[in-house]
Amino acid sequence: MALIPNGTDREPMRSEKGSAAAQNSAPAAQGHAPMPYGGPAVDDIRMEEMLLNVGPQHPSTHGVLRLLVRARGETIVEADPVIGYLHRGTEKLAENLQYTQIIPYTDRLDYLASMINNYALCHTVETAIDLEVPERAEHLRVLVMEMQRIASHLLFIGAYLLDLGAMSPFLYAFQERERIVQLFNRICGARLTYNYMRIGGVKYDAPEGWLDDVRDFVPWMKGKLEMYDRLITGNEIFLNRVRGIGVFDTKTALAYGISGVNLRSTGMRWDLRRNRPYSIYDRFEFDIPVGQHGDCFDRYYLHLLEMEQSLRIIEQVLAQMPDGPVLGKVPKIIRVPAGEYYCGVEGARGELGFYIVADGKDKPYRLKIRKPSFVNLQLLPELLRGQSLSNLIAILGAVDIVLGEVDA
Amino acid sequence: MPALWLWQHGPVTWPHVLVMILGAIVTLAVTLGVVTYTIYAERKVIGWMQGRIGPNRVGPFGLLQSFADIFKLLIKEDIVPEKADRSLFLLAPIIAFVPSFMTLAVIPFTMRHIFTADFGVGLLYYLALSAITIHGVMLGGWASNNKYALIGGMRSAAQMLSYEVPLGMSLVGVALMSGSLNLNHIVLAQSRTVWYVVPQIVGFCVFLVAATAELNRTPFDLPEAESELVAGYHVEYTGFRFAFFMLTEYVYVFAMGCLAATLFLGGWSGPFLPGWLWFAIKVFAFIFFQFWLRATMPRIRVDQLMSFSWKVLLPIAMLNLVGTAIVTTLW
Amino acid sequence: MLGFLKGLSVTMGQLPKKKVTLQYPEVMPELPDRFRGVHRFIPDLCIVCNQCARICPTDCITLSGTRDENRKMHIDTFDINFEICILCDLCVEVCPTDAILMSDTFELAVESRDHLKLDMQWLTESEEEYEEKYPDRVPSLDAVLGEDGAEVTE
Repeated sequence: MALIPNGTDREPMRSEKGSAAAQNSAPAAQGHAPMPYGGPAVDDIRMEEMLLNVGPQHPSTHGVLRLLVRARGETIVEADPVIGYLHRGTEKLAENLQYTQIIPYTDRLDYLASMINNYALCHTVETAIDLEVPERAEHLRVLVMEMQRIASHLLFIGAYLLDLGAMSPFLYAFQERERIVQLFNRICGARLTYNYMRIGGVKYDAPEGWLDDVRDFVPWMKGKLEMYDRLITGNEIFLNRVRGIGVFDTKTALAYGISGVNLRSTGMRWDLRRNRPYSIYDRFEFDIPVGQHGDCFDRYYLHLLEMEQSLRIIEQVLAQMPDGPVLGKVPKIIRVPAGEYYCGVEGARGELGFYIVADGKDKPYRLKIRKPSFVNLQLLPELLRGQSLSNLIAILGAVDIVLGEVDA
Repeated sequence: MPALWLWQHGPVTWPHVLVMILGAIVTLAVTLGVVTYTIYAERKVIGWMQGRIGPNRVGPFGLLQSFADIFKLLIKEDIVPEKADRSLFLLAPIIAFVPSFMTLAVIPFTMRHIFTADFGVGLLYYLALSAITIHGVMLGGWASNNKYALIGGMRSAAQMLSYEVPLGMSLVGVALMSGSLNLNHIVLAQSRTVWYVVPQIVGFCVFLVAATAELNRTPFDLPEAESELVAGYHVEYTGFRFAFFMLTEYVYVFAMGCLAATLFLGGWSGPFLPGWLWFAIKVFAFIFFQFWLRATMPRIRVDQLMSFSWKVLLPIAMLNLVGTAIVTTLW
Repeated sequence: MLGFLKGLSVTMGQLPKKKVTLQYPEVMPELPDRFRGVHRFIPDLCIVCNQCARICPTDCITLSGTRDENRKMHIDTFDINFEICILCDLCVEVCPTDAILMSDTFELAVESRDHLKLDMQWLTESEEEYEEKYPDRVPSLDAVLGEDGAEVTE
């Protein structure tokens, strides 16, 4: 992976006049002596590798990812992701911010799963200072996190199908997501950057009638999941495009540090909510669906199944929801004792971890974010080698990256 | 019916030439109107299928939206990329568009050809002309000197060529049954017996698939696969030239609908309603089916597309052809 | 082939359903009372404690005040640089007198960057607009002043 600036001259958008491929990618040019009898033999056709610049303004790179693709015909020889177009230096900024002030910045990492980002930071700080969080706050947190997971997975399915050329699922997904976003808007006053959680609890208690609306949402969403299943899962064109594409096994996945759905699609049952229970997840019953083949279809289908499990968790949370305060006894200025702390949570895209190096002040000495999208993206060049250009988008889409998180 | 309109059955005179030109102009006007509202209907229908309301700003119910879009394209700057092959780049949209309009010359919109030609080998003429468009598309992709456009153009050429074959094969069954290549005779034959969609149901299915692929529409819209190739062969085109490519596409949708209605759905024949209305209904049914597909289907992959054409569609069309031949001979 | 038809039936089933489009400029979205739009500011309530400026993660608030003859602080200038404000709501959270609040104005497009330097006058007008729009959501100023006034003098 290369970070941006180097070599703007490496990849001309257009080829040289009259020739299909760029001159700079000359190495593969072979002998091209004209054959004496009619046309040239297949071996002597002049072949050049083509340098294709996919992104950052490409419709399907999910934001500002750039892929530098060397292709032979429509076959990819090498794909090199170029990242950093959305780099805002969150980790560096955090060094000059109090712990509470970092929360709004985590909203902007994986902007499709802000709630989970909020939680990951708060959870890490709470663990570091040994803070007890009230029961109701924990329940509310799990509730919004699972709703957020659904919203994020919905958008994955919509965007993935849009990448594959089907327009409708994208718009349907937005309709469903809108309902979740509206609920979030009511509880915390924002539709995307929630800034809802605080160290030691959550900012607001649920407004009147909100929990009932969530209760109504669950069965409705179940019906919608069925609709997605009918619309997409059986479609032969879709199946042919995603089955057996972008396959990797558990060993590769672990070697690259892949987590989340991408890891589970290879058949490994690894979900931090179950394997390293945090918050109150150990109280709920839910399954961890795993795939078998580690291909794009498994990754798509796991998203669907996980939404179902999230709905199950939401139902249980609603049934158990206790009364009480939503913010614990938090010191006015939060000082984390000197030391190193790491907490990982199961984000929508994999293991999201915050690693804090504290020196006893109210600001972290160093904050490192383990960004699941970023780690998952590492496997992409490996997956793309030898694939055709139309598989490029199918594979990239299934890895499910959010550039706000990759570039942070 | 004034004798003037029946120029096809007499020697050519100057008034007849005038009528011919008039017929072409009227057909062009009708086609443009149909295309404009096909685009409008597509946006509306797909919008409805997706929980949206579609264009509703320009004019009542957004009826003038397409005109606004065309106007916008007309006043846009006409950009020719510096490194493009200028003459070919300028020529390509014309090569693509002209045949698309010319194919309409043989379509029997009503019982008697009024504005169009009663042509003995109408079916062949349609297939021959529609093949020319491929050149325009491929040249456009090549002349743009853009890699995405090139890939799009190449895909287009490969796809349209491969699907031309099963398309032609599926039509031969109809020709065998009616014993004529004259489109109007085919309609007449159907109105005497039964719509060919019934006996030629296999042929019709092959035709539907191949026609969708010929039209480069979802799920076969690979040449302009937005999510992969940005916009495919017309990625470098702007303004009016871009409009020409779009126009070509939608004229072909109309023409292919006309062909489907003529060959399989009995053309203008039908009870109660006037012939032209029946024809319009059938064409719209075909077009609506295209919208419906577009709202539902993902895009097929390019290698699967090719193998599907040669390994599945063509054998089916061949079998259908052989079966039809045997039955018509014995019967 | 079956999956194909299932999908087609789903899209067709959506055709007659109610459309979800909100005709935005004509029909405004309904925003909950917690919605975080542009700030609004009530100068009479401000005690110039500077907490909002200190908590702001982007340092977009600058304010200044003076002490009057009763040794009470009065706000003189209060500026928010909306180019960098991230609408995180932390300033509202820390304000002890609820002098700074969030309105439901979310339309922030302007023609010049200068228009994004919001001063006290702009923010006060924003408050007036909000009060006019939601008279039921805003407690009457006298009640708030009476309560808080007592608190402050303690």
